[in-house]
Amino acid sequence: MTDVTHTTTAETYTIPVGPLHVALEEPMYFKIDVRGETIANVDINAGHVHRGIEYLTTKRTIYQNVILTERICSLCSNSHPETFAMAAEQIAGLEVPERALYLRVIAGEIKRIASNLFNIAILAHLVGYETLFMHVMEVREVAQDIKESVFGNRMDLGAVCIGGVRYDLDDETTAYLSGALDKLVPEIDEIIATYRTNGSILGRTRGIGILKREDALACGVVGPVARASGIDYDVRMVAPYAAYDRLPMVVHTLTDGDVWSRAMIRLAEARTAIELIRACLRDLPGGPTHLHDRPDIPRGQAVAKCEAPRGELIYYLKTNDNPEPERVKWRVPTFMNWDALRYMLADQKIADIAIIVNSIDPCVSCTER
Amino acid sequence: MSNQVTLLSAVLLFPGGLFALLFGLALKGADRRVAARLQGRVGPPLMQPLFDLVKLGFKRTMVPSTTASETVFLGAPLVGVVSMLIAAALVPISGVYSPDPMLGNLLVLLYLLMVPGIVLMVAGSASGSPYGAIGFSREMALMLAYEGPLVLVVAAVALRTGWSEGHVISFSLTEIVRHQQVHGAFLFDPVMWPAVAAFVFFYPANLGIVPFDIPEAETEVLEGPLLEYSGPALGLFKIMSALKAVVVLGLGIALFMPLAPSGVLGLAVWLVEMLVLMLVGVTVVRVSVGRMRIDQAFAFFLKWPLLFAAASLAVVVVV
Repeated sequence: MTDVTHTTTAETYTIPVGPLHVALEEPMYFKIDVRGETIANVDINAGHVHRGIEYLTTKRTIYQNVILTERICSLCSNSHPETFAMAAEQIAGLEVPERALYLRVIAGEIKRIASNLFNIAILAHLVGYETLFMHVMEVREVAQDIKESVFGNRMDLGAVCIGGVRYDLDDETTAYLSGALDKLVPEIDEIIATYRTNGSILGRTRGIGILKREDALACGVVGPVARASGIDYDVRMVAPYAAYDRLPMVVHTLTDGDVWSRAMIRLAEARTAIELIRACLRDLPGGPTHLHDRPDIPRGQAVAKCEAPRGELIYYLKTNDNPEPERVKWRVPTFMNWDALRYMLADQKIADIAIIVNSIDPCVSCTER
Repeated sequence: MSNQVTLLSAVLLFPGGLFALLFGLALKGADRRVAARLQGRVGPPLMQPLFDLVKLGFKRTMVPSTTASETVFLGAPLVGVVSMLIAAALVPISGVYSPDPMLGNLLVLLYLLMVPGIVLMVAGSASGSPYGAIGFSREMALMLAYEGPLVLVVAAVALRTGWSEGHVISFSLTEIVRHQQVHGAFLFDPVMWPAVAAFVFFYPANLGIVPFDIPEAETEVLEGPLLEYSGPALGLFKIMSALKAVVVLGLGIALFMPLAPSGVLGLAVWLVEMLVLMLVGVTVVRVSVGRMRIDQAFAFFLKWPLLFAAASLAVVVVV
């Protein structure tokens, strides 16, 4: 952090943002030195929701861990078990049925729509625009209804298992799903138009919390944060998993790297997610949805990654001859992104702290597990 | 003696005091409920602000250990409430109530209207919380921004009334109301339209609602000056804010639209006018926009409201 002064003078004072703060959805502690209304120095302190899940995974069998990893965090709750299952399948050399690959994409993209809309709604809440917050949350409710109707749960879908998926779409659910998506499309388009034109949103998000491309590269940011700074990186594109190589994937990028760009990327990706689900429903092959036996996972190690709503999620799995894994380690997108906050917050106003922090869509539960 | 009793009842019972408090709480309840409906929510019961107040009354007031002075910390809300009680008794209700000149005039009311802002600043800095300090500086910047246009608007109204009535300037609210009852409301007088336009911006800023709820912005500075307050002390701030709503809305009606029959019907018309003004001038505004940053708000007030206010004064002087 070279561009920010470290000296605390008589004119600067420290304000604590967090660990508990109405603007933060999860506990995170920013010690912020301010001069007047301008930020002089930021100290990020984490670790308030450490629950020892990494250790816990080595006490559960690999099959139990699919359920455990789903509970690391609620908003990326499909990406965790999916990536974990991909690592286990890699070690055991399992061939996942074709239909299951498409169904995994559907589950993941529905979670992406809900997660991105949630972040967009919170942005409106943070700029004090409660009406827009309520509207976006109402639209998000359509995605929540899809989750509840198709998967049986509003947050944890329980969709993924090792060797396939645990749900299937019949004619009735398919018809419901495409009907619900048809309802979502005009709503999301309208939200995009609102965020593109509304003065309150533009006034508070344009040119705020800028992350330049070179800083973004230096921090190694991932996901919508990277793509808003002009880095054309999406795991679904560069290392396709599930059925993404057969789907009309589009990677959205913007170059401004401000809060608004990150919001627009999230909205565009929610919109693309709908197209991906529609393509899946169109091309959905027949066949089984999962393997019929539960093979033992042999000794070995593997790395798997996927594009969670917040960015690249990497899982490392090492197994031995026991049913429990020897080591599970994951690197979540927020871990890469929150260091970039130092660059985004430098010389910004106090009023924008919450908006900037929210713009990386921090998932503290994932990061501190 | 009877004069003192009248004054006291004006401050404590009607139109200030109990009446203004209950009406102010009801206005706030209506605001919350209508805002909820506009946002697709159900919203709280109409008298929720009163319930909150009663609940706060039974709680304990915590004084932070960081406070600079306990007396100032606990005294600030009291000063705010007293100032608003007097201010509420200064606002005329057309055909029903005109304030006793002994209590004060428009100039006194202007000064009293500044007290809640100053009280919030004092409270914020006395709490010893950094959020209170930020709230302090924001409140001060915002007051500097909106007080200028307000003074110009009031001057325009006072001049217009004064000249028509044969002297230079009139700071008597009673006279301003009487003048409009005879010559028609200023709201329908094209000469006064810039003043009305400037005054419209004053509402959200003075009442501390979106887009100008900057000193108390919950998601930025956690209610700022109010952060460390709890129990009855916080209740006093709620009382102050409810009274202020009545005073500020009532001032707007007195300055621009004080036309009503006398007696009970006049009071009913006034109540309806207040409610409509609250819903149109406050509720609709606050659900339609997001919050500004303090620098944006400052620049905003130095542009449009100041322009309108200066124009209103110029037009009144020329015409």
